[in-house]
Amino acid sequence: MECDNRLNVAANLDSLGAIGQFIKDAAECAGLDKRAAYNLRLAVDEIATNIVMHGYEEASLNGNIEVSKEIREDALIITLEDSGVAFDPRTMNMPTEEDLSVPLEDRAIGGLGIYLTVNGVDRFDYERVNNHNRNIFEVKRNTIN
Amino acid sequence: MQIDISVENELAVAVISGEIDGKTAPQAQSELLPAMGSCGKIVIEMSGVTYLSSAGLRTLLLLYRQAVAKNGKIALVGLSEEIKDVMSMTGFLKFFAVENTLEDGKRSLN
Repeated sequence: MECDNRLNVAANLDSLGAIGQFIKDAAECAGLDKRAAYNLRLAVDEIATNIVMHGYEEASLNGNIEVSKEIREDALIITLEDSGVAFDPRTMNMPTEEDLSVPLEDRAIGGLGIYLTVNGVDRFDYERVNNHNRNIFEVKRNTIN
Repeated sequence: MQIDISVENELAVAVISGEIDGKTAPQAQSELLPAMGSCGKIVIEMSGVTYLSSAGLRTLLLLYRQAVAKNGKIALVGLSEEIKDVMSMTGFLKFFAVENTLEDGKRSLN
């Protein structure tokens, strides 16, 4: 299968589908299994949604999100780069196991997205480069076969 | 995402297909919440749902709260393994009746 290395989309909610498709294709090219592919797509989608809503729309900014992929021998690396409001998702409070056992009636809903991101990949990182946010997702490839 | 809602013997049945993400979850919420009606019960057939993000979990949370407020219950039918995993990991799964077939879903709310 042929895979693009880059996708550039407008930073709005309509672009989430295209980003998701790009990640699904990248995961297939890298030979990830179904579960790893799903969890990676989820991790990237959660951060992309945050970028659109908090990095651009709430700040009344327009701009783009650039998605890129790199397939290394041992890992698939996805990078999201945007020019929205500076934000390091790793600073968000994540729900603890105790928080996640609270009945839904009394549950605080915040933080689920970052929880799914961090738990969905082998490495999640953030860098601030040239006034851009760069979110990095790494998933190990099963290269035994 | 596509939602079809019908009412059978006063029980709301929603069939959803496609992806529930930050873009589509608000639509799911605005269609499903009023469909529950006064009994607070709804069967949601999700075998055609290929993706559910935290935005979709938020929709399920709001539905659940409305159901509890009306002494009702929600049945989710045909969840994919991946969606089940995410719901289990986030402590959502056990608050819903999780069934394999529409018939079982309807029965679980009677």
